Amino acid sequence: MKNNGTIPPELNVATDELIRNLVSSKPLADYARAREQMHSDPQAHALLERLSGLQTDIRRKQAGGAVTQEDLKNLRAAQADVQSNGAIIAYAVSQQEAVSFLREINREISELLGMDFASLARQRTC
Amino acid sequence: MEPNQLEVSPPEAASSAARAFAAALAETTQFKAFEQAYDTLRKDSPAQEALAAYREKARSLQAMLMLSAVEEAERAELERLKQDYLSRPGVRAYNAAEADLIELSQAVAGRISEAIGLNYAASCGASCCG
Repeated sequence: MKNNGTIPPELNVATDELIRNLVSSKPLADYARAREQMHSDPQAHALLERLSGLQTDIRRKQAGGAVTQEDLKNLRAAQADVQSNGAIIAYAVSQQEAVSFLREINREISELLGMDFASLARQRTC
Repeated sequence: MEPNQLEVSPPEAASSAARAFAAALAETTQFKAFEQAYDTLRKDSPAQEALAAYREKARSLQAMLMLSAVEEAERAELERLKQDYLSRPGVRAYNAAEADLIELSQAVAGRISEAIGLNYAASCGASCCG
């Protein structure tokens, strides 16, 4: 039996209803709002890009043992800047709360199924 | 609709929708086929014996396997026991039913992930490497 990507109609309806309720729940609504605010904050965007660039740089240098004190100082400064940006912090906190809420929802689904739904749904890529 | 225009619903509403979702998933042919295949395999004594034989052999070789020091004949015997288990009709039926249920679950979770902007399976602690 192959699904061919088709979700049975009754399950489709239940999925739509679950999505509607998740999206309008406080944790996920807060997360969507914080994500939107972070994406529209050019300073937050620049800070994250700078941090990511420094991390990539240091990883590359680590292979050759060429990381300097200056590199580490710059990295710590960038981390501090990220941690003091309100939009980024709000995003990170709201994401944690959204994830906790999703885990609770998954626990309810899994209890009724008798198996972990998230484990069934994970992509087996390795 | 923008996120800040959404009316926030109480947590019980999502819980109720989650229960309805689980009930709908449990009613699918894929889920029922999986449960049936699981029950059948659990009662399939020859398959269970084949599994026990494979596990016992793997356990006896565990230390040597970690050291990559297993003789070729032992490795071949372990592989033979594994294939003996995997080729049994009950095991094949179970694996096929599981694959169908996984495919359906991934399709549904994919829709949820897309709508909420978070990877559902990864957020719930299921990583690709177990």
